Amino acid sequence: MLNHCRVLDLTTERGFLCGQVLADLGADVIKIEPVGGARERLLPPFFKDGAVTERSVYWWAYNRNKRGITLDLEQEQGRNIFRQLVRNADFVIESANPGYWSARGLGYDSLSALNPKLVMVSITPFGQHGPKASYADSDLIIMAAGGVLILYGDEDRPPIRMSVPQAYLHASVDAAGAALIAYYERLNSGIGQHVDVAAQESVGLANQSTALTAPLRGEETRRMAGGAQLGSLRVPLVWKAKDGLITFVFLFGSALGPFTRKFMDYLYEQGGCDRAMRDTDWVGYGAELLSGRRPLQEYERCKRVIAEFFQQKTKAELFEAARQRTLLIAPVSTIDDVLHNPQFIARECWQKLNHPETGATITYPGPFARFSASPIGFRRPPPRIGEHNREVLIGELQISDREFDQLQRQGVV
Amino acid sequence: MASKEAGQLAARLPLEDVKILDFMWVLAGPGITRTLADYGATVVRVESVSRTDPVRTVGPFKDGKSGSESSGLWANNNAGKLGITLDLSTPGARTIVLDLVRWADVVCEAFSPKAMRAWGLDYESLRQVKPDLIMLSTCLMGQSGPLSQFAGFGNLAAALCGFYYLVGWPDRQPSGPFSAYTDYIAPRFGVCALMAALIHRRLTGEGQYIDQAQAESALQFLALPIADFTANGRNYEPVANRDLYCAPHGVYAAAGEDRWVAIACRTEQEWLALCAAMNVPELAADARFSTFKARQVNCDELDRIINQWTCRLDAHEIERLLQARSVPAHVVQTAVDLYQDQQLQHRKHFVEVPHPELGTTWVENSRFKLSRTPARVERAAPTLGQHNQYVLEQILGYDEVRIAELVSSGALG
Repeated sequence: MLNHCRVLDLTTERGFLCGQVLADLGADVIKIEPVGGARERLLPPFFKDGAVTERSVYWWAYNRNKRGITLDLEQEQGRNIFRQLVRNADFVIESANPGYWSARGLGYDSLSALNPKLVMVSITPFGQHGPKASYADSDLIIMAAGGVLILYGDEDRPPIRMSVPQAYLHASVDAAGAALIAYYERLNSGIGQHVDVAAQESVGLANQSTALTAPLRGEETRRMAGGAQLGSLRVPLVWKAKDGLITFVFLFGSALGPFTRKFMDYLYEQGGCDRAMRDTDWVGYGAELLSGRRPLQEYERCKRVIAEFFQQKTKAELFEAARQRTLLIAPVSTIDDVLHNPQFIARECWQKLNHPETGATITYPGPFARFSASPIGFRRPPPRIGEHNREVLIGELQISDREFDQLQRQGVV
Repeated sequence: MASKEAGQLAARLPLEDVKILDFMWVLAGPGITRTLADYGATVVRVESVSRTDPVRTVGPFKDGKSGSESSGLWANNNAGKLGITLDLSTPGARTIVLDLVRWADVVCEAFSPKAMRAWGLDYESLRQVKPDLIMLSTCLMGQSGPLSQFAGFGNLAAALCGFYYLVGWPDRQPSGPFSAYTDYIAPRFGVCALMAALIHRRLTGEGQYIDQAQAESALQFLALPIADFTANGRNYEPVANRDLYCAPHGVYAAAGEDRWVAIACRTEQEWLALCAAMNVPELAADARFSTFKARQVNCDELDRIINQWTCRLDAHEIERLLQARSVPAHVVQTAVDLYQDQQLQHRKHFVEVPHPELGTTWVENSRFKLSRTPARVERAAPTLGQHNQYVLEQILGYDEVRIAELVSSGALG
């Protein structure tokens, strides 16, 4: 869909996925790395937990479908080549700290003067301006700042994050969407603009609007082991089955109560509860608990009854019942389970890319969506260091072989 | 500055010419159209009176009082949309829908896969009415495959995708992510998918059908563990706040009840700066902590030492002390902290908007900024049926007699 678009990708790990989303959608994304390769190529884990060079699984995970060149942007000659590329580019995406590229004459003002149609996308921890714009960060810091971390973990211990970094993945996909909105606008106006993505704001979507609790003067949501505490209600989401863990939603009200009613029919049929429990008004139940008309111990008792039942059933039995009866139950899966999930296999979700540098075949998650007119393709594995230097500089910028050799000697490419 | 702002206000929003008929509900779907509404799209959100959106029953609520019009989550996820109620089982509603399809550029729906077909509103039927239509279906597992009919919330998809084992303590059952994790990932990919399809249509005149499985979008955020599993056979177990790249890396108790600060050292320099800030320079020379590897091995002891320092200090004071030395640190923000956060205030993150029943309510701003055509977030989500008259009269051009007939026939639910 974006086959006519060119993206210059200057990002660090803060923005890898932004370029990859645009590349998946068909754009020609050129990853620009310092001479010798990007710092992020040194991030573990490594293939076979062995040698470092060209073996970072971290790098592989988020750079497919891109081409790659090396260019020393600390040298004026390198910057000049970059400026030449900018003249024909639609997007520049970057994730340096605010002011980094401006100090090198490559900020939005300079680049848009070269190419007014350019859409430049900046992904930073806290945004381009403001009191925290220069804060030092990491995935954990962003999750803390975005109001997500406080909701994660067990109530009797410190909050914990998701152990695979997520913050900049959220920000990167927001950045790709924002880039496309700006590009669509350009189709009308003929002019590009600067997109400012703050990871702090991006990750906030994952606090499920609990951010609004203070201005709304609403009830606080608190972290709870394997669930969440909503006001005075302790709502578990992780439950024990006979052979492992499941997630199950036990909630009330006009929308969720009917699911609970269906679950109670199942529980009763299986001999897991008595008639009185089955026939409880599960729609009105939550309001009764919150108003005190029904004691909270009663809710705790119901949870114990359900927990006992689950421990007599396997994950597969419970999931099968969920599928037959539209219950809100699913097995908690390991990565191994996920790779064997019949749904993902049936939809040919897993894409295997051959990495010529190792001879290895690595499995990646497939398309993020299925398009009837222009499907997402897995065209190429992540680029090796400088893999497309000649193709881009000689083939497309028409730099002569002699000039190219000279640039190489000078360490510009 | 004043004239620049006036210029911005006069600017056309990027998506002013985009018209969306929105049959989506709950979180992941409506989050997509919320973003497009921020940037000018006209979104007509269809609701059922008898089966209202579950999100209307989820907090935080204005002044802590639950009610179908007082949910902040609903207001936030549907800000800026127009609302119409329809009973899709009636012939009158069907006529209205088909007229809205003729009007729309995009139709979105988030039911389980058979629902639209049952109403005769699937893509093949609708493209007969509107040949260049873009249609997005988003559901938990996708339109095809053995689990296509498995419906539910984002906690179920998160469990099936493998997110649960990534949040937890090694000595306990995993805690899992907060609430419905895939619901905070999928909408971002949905925005990218729709924008790419809109660009494609704009350039080629061709519409298309998009099948978004929320689970498959969310799997993109697990590309690293999936690639690592296939490369190294590593299955991910709960590791609390341990990190591959940073040490120390954790959440530490600050003074006060349930107050925490996140600290991460990515480099030796940051580690030395942390020692200096704690006023224990001798720690830097301690063999147990003198290298990254040593700090990883002795992380429990290191955490204990840091905790002794943090627990006597105010969380904000720790953040200030450490950030002054460029050490990644941040208060683990609660909802109250978020509302008082100077960076979020600087970015005008919290927006008070008028509301027909509540007087005003609060929503969050767009999660990114476009320099020339910033988002316009001025309206809350619609109340149930708030724009029935407007949609029928102003958008579809129906006369009073016809509208009265439709109302009395029960088409509007």
